[in-house]
Amino acid sequence: MSSTNKSGQPRPPQASLFDRAICPVNAYCESFSSPGIPRPHWQGIIAAINGTPTQILKQRQERVKRMRHEDGATYNPFDNADGKGTPWALEMIPLPITAGEWAGLETGLIQRALLLDTILADTYGPQDLLKGGALPAPLVFANPRFLHACHGIQPPANRYLNFYAADLYRGPNGCFRVLHDYSANPAGLGYALENRIVISRMFPELYHQTQIRRLAPFFQTFHNSLVQRSGLQRQDPNIVLLSPGPESPIYFEQALLSRYLGYPLVEGQDLTVRNGKVFLKKLAGLEPVEVIFRQITDSNSDPFALRRNTTTGVAGLIQVAREGNIGIVNPIGSGFLETPVLPVFLPGLCRQLLGQELILESHPAWWCGTAEGQNQVLANLHRLTVHHAFDPSTSIGLPNNFANAIQASPFSIMAKETLQPSAVPAWEEGGVSARHTLMRVFVCATDQGFTVMPGGLAITAQDINTLLGDIPEQLQSKDIWVLSDEPVEHFSMMNGLQTVAEFRRGSDLPSRVADHLLWLGRYLERAEGLIRLLRSVFKRLSGETRPEDIPEMQFLLTLLRAGNTIADPPENQSGGILSEDLGPQLLDGLYLRDRPESVIAILQRVQEAARTVRDRLSPDSWRVINRLDDFGESPDADPLELLDNTLFTLSSFSGLAMESMTRGLGWRFMDMGRRMERALHQIDLLHIGLPWACGPARNTLEALLEVSDSIMTYRARYRTAFQLAPALDLLLMDESNPKSLAFQLSQLSDHVEHLPRQSERRFSSPEERMALEMLTTTRLLDLTGLACPVGGWNNGDTDLFLSNFFETMEKRLKDFGLQISAHYLSRVTATPHFSLLLPDEGVQ
Amino acid sequence: MKYRIIHTTSYQYSEPASLSQNELFLTPRATDSQQIAESWLSLVPEPQYMHRRIDYFGNIAHVFMVQHPHVELAMTATSVVSTSPPMTHPASETPPWEAVVQRLASHSQGDVQDAYQFVFPSPMIAIGPGIFTYARVSFPPGTPVLCGAMDLMRRIFTEFTYDKSASTVDTSVEHVLASRKGVCQDFSHLAISCLRSLGLAARYVSGYLETTPPPDKPKMVGADASHAWISLFIPDRGWIDLDPTNNILPGEAHITLAWGRDYSDVAPVKGVVMGGGLHTLSVEVDVARL
Repeated sequence: MSSTNKSGQPRPPQASLFDRAICPVNAYCESFSSPGIPRPHWQGIIAAINGTPTQILKQRQERVKRMRHEDGATYNPFDNADGKGTPWALEMIPLPITAGEWAGLETGLIQRALLLDTILADTYGPQDLLKGGALPAPLVFANPRFLHACHGIQPPANRYLNFYAADLYRGPNGCFRVLHDYSANPAGLGYALENRIVISRMFPELYHQTQIRRLAPFFQTFHNSLVQRSGLQRQDPNIVLLSPGPESPIYFEQALLSRYLGYPLVEGQDLTVRNGKVFLKKLAGLEPVEVIFRQITDSNSDPFALRRNTTTGVAGLIQVAREGNIGIVNPIGSGFLETPVLPVFLPGLCRQLLGQELILESHPAWWCGTAEGQNQVLANLHRLTVHHAFDPSTSIGLPNNFANAIQASPFSIMAKETLQPSAVPAWEEGGVSARHTLMRVFVCATDQGFTVMPGGLAITAQDINTLLGDIPEQLQSKDIWVLSDEPVEHFSMMNGLQTVAEFRRGSDLPSRVADHLLWLGRYLERAEGLIRLLRSVFKRLSGETRPEDIPEMQFLLTLLRAGNTIADPPENQSGGILSEDLGPQLLDGLYLRDRPESVIAILQRVQEAARTVRDRLSPDSWRVINRLDDFGESPDADPLELLDNTLFTLSSFSGLAMESMTRGLGWRFMDMGRRMERALHQIDLLHIGLPWACGPARNTLEALLEVSDSIMTYRARYRTAFQLAPALDLLLMDESNPKSLAFQLSQLSDHVEHLPRQSERRFSSPEERMALEMLTTTRLLDLTGLACPVGGWNNGDTDLFLSNFFETMEKRLKDFGLQISAHYLSRVTATPHFSLLLPDEGVQ
Repeated sequence: MKYRIIHTTSYQYSEPASLSQNELFLTPRATDSQQIAESWLSLVPEPQYMHRRIDYFGNIAHVFMVQHPHVELAMTATSVVSTSPPMTHPASETPPWEAVVQRLASHSQGDVQDAYQFVFPSPMIAIGPGIFTYARVSFPPGTPVLCGAMDLMRRIFTEFTYDKSASTVDTSVEHVLASRKGVCQDFSHLAISCLRSLGLAARYVSGYLETTPPPDKPKMVGADASHAWISLFIPDRGWIDLDPTNNILPGEAHITLAWGRDYSDVAPVKGVVMGGGLHTLSVEVDVARL
């Protein structure tokens, strides 16, 4: 699109993409003071959008979506490649806030954080507000968010609220109010960071021409204050980020924050409590943890103290906090501040505790626990929404029953004014339209008080109910630009994102991570091996020859069947190939998700394994992993081309892993997984393939070398026809061939020597001895004069000799795998079994 | 009366447990009618970590951890306790229940305010409409509060069957009301729920009851068990215990361990174990008169 129409006349200046973004009646219009008149702080953005051809804008929004997807910010990269279901899907038009308005918000938020901190300290301490009546008793006693077990626990530096978030909205009169307070484990900080990274790359000129306050200093303050408050002196304090794991819809954010802040990403099962302290379970042993940045809810934090049958939290964590041996951001029980009815009392509490008027008002609400509030609610029921006062998920029943519900249990009922949030222009389906918006902003504690992140997550929806539903997957988000009247300092956003957070870098890693990396290595190798095999099949089928006339076809299909990639043939056509059956069978082997050994199923396992160690993978590797989605999305593609592309993607990943992963333990475990898988695969190929190679069908030995990825080496080395002894030598014993069995074993042997160990003596661990034994057996294998037995495979010693060797090696490799798990990984492979032991002692 | 109570809880695991954590409410607290001469815990294997604290309700709690592989765990609490008869209150002279509800709702200060926390639902005690319907039968307008509570206790005693098989630690009050079966914990939860549904303050008491064998038989060691009953708050009089399982006002034979909003606050033994496979549990309680 251009700015001229067909007749060459300039487009009238008033025509704007924003003409369709009409603000709803009764909603404050963020972008325009009246129709067609943009507010001054929006002019730059509106001009930039209007000055860009629509086609380019469409592409930009696509790029925004893709960048978020490739960074892994999707809810489920396996099922939602289209970006649907992404929490707070990013939309490209930013929401600017003037410096003056922001200064007012900052003051209000800092006051509110201080007030909430004081209330929390009192509630879990002396409870003077309760005793004096300033905080009505039901707010504590009838409130499941008050955790009795946490009463009396004093956090480090007596700071209860370390990190706080609020959802703000702007009412029709232009004033900001607080809709929600978040205190237990506020979400969205990582998405705000990601949004800024994406949008600043998307509009580089606009971003750099406009004076926009940077986010990076906030994260530095967050970290420095945390270190100082917890009395951590060292350079590399032991802070972890405790995540519920990849099942969390916002796992992406947790992995991102982990990288950015440099706090290792851990799950409940990675931590254990000993001697009243928290430890991280790592390969070499237990490492003390001093501070936990908690991303799990209050009630899931300690299955022991809170009697929950969950493995998300850490059993005994509250006891450790009670002993003062851990800093938790925020302390368990701080969800008390999220009590829906609490804001009703904030103006009075602010006067009492701070001697000030509450600057930032809350959304108007009333509590039915007082006669006054109850009358107010009953008189205005028609225009209010009725809610549970303590638990927003509890239904109050039908509207015609509200009055009864209030009579029955007045203290548990509250009512709120209808929400009328402001409207912002948003890019939607190729144009700009208006959406309702909230602003999620973030505050952290400093040594003096609190500081507000200059920016945040604008959360938008087309209708107010969706906005209030607070389901991130149904909402969109924008980057909030806080404008500055002064030039802004430049901070690099990206420095923190390239390294993996580790206490003692490179020296050790959590057992769970090692386990997942091992399996990632195995699945990657399995996928490569299978794709290479299928590629050999499709390459042959793409020619003119009918499948039944290709001599080695039967051998290749036998391999696929042995691996359960394609189904066994019906008994009556033992071995015969019918081309009409073969096509669908092979397609199933590619695309059938229910078949555990189909390509798509294995690729999915690669992605799942990668996802569990997402924080360990560089952003580039992660992008490559997400590209594997292409496989399932191209069912009509030419199979050969698709397999080639996928193999290429997998190789890119391996290349990136080789290049960008430090040769630490993580890399060793991933590579061990690969080597074990490749060794097992090689043994399998030979075990199944040799009878065919010695059989009547021609070209089988060549095909065997081909699927072993060794045909080039063979040709280069021997320049002869394909013969059994040299082929076996290459595939089994040649340690310079990276595909040979001996090569895998020598790599494994090297890896186990470098794992954390109790004794310095070489070959002191069982796995070292096992690896050496396998390697030596293979090296000593005598292949001299080995040839196919005359009269077929089953007529001679060769068969017995090699079969024995393959069977022994297969068993030893499997034992070796078990030994590795038992020694290094068993703390996690045996699923933690928590049983609550509550004796039934009813008597009498 | 002077008693020695020996309470042993043991777990046997089918596979070694690598780590176990337990919280015990097995040390009796002192009250107006109960003095503690001595009380100690004996734990096998010896825990690597042990912590004692006074909880939110004033009870004595111990948390301990065994941090090395073990296939069994035995916890024995031994206490010597002297009890005296609690103060009695003629039931008909207690204030009408509505007045008590009023006093609590004003929750002005001191012990009334403190008692007010026991008016609300708690983790194991929901207050449904069925509960209120059941409770109000015992509380016609103007009924002295203790008369009403004793009538409620009598009805639970006569209308409900003691049935150990009908109960688990998580049995809900609604379920007990529907099935009319349960154990002391269930009857206590039910009675508390009924009283709270009216706006009264009631708490859960965990402890022991001395059992007397039939006249011609010797008392068997370990035949006793832990017990539970309830306590009702009456302003200006304090907390008055009622035992709905036995339809009596507890006297010297009831020994108090701890109290809270419900069982979940004061379970005598609760724990988490990592590993351990299947576990078997045995509990032995002996209440001996000294």
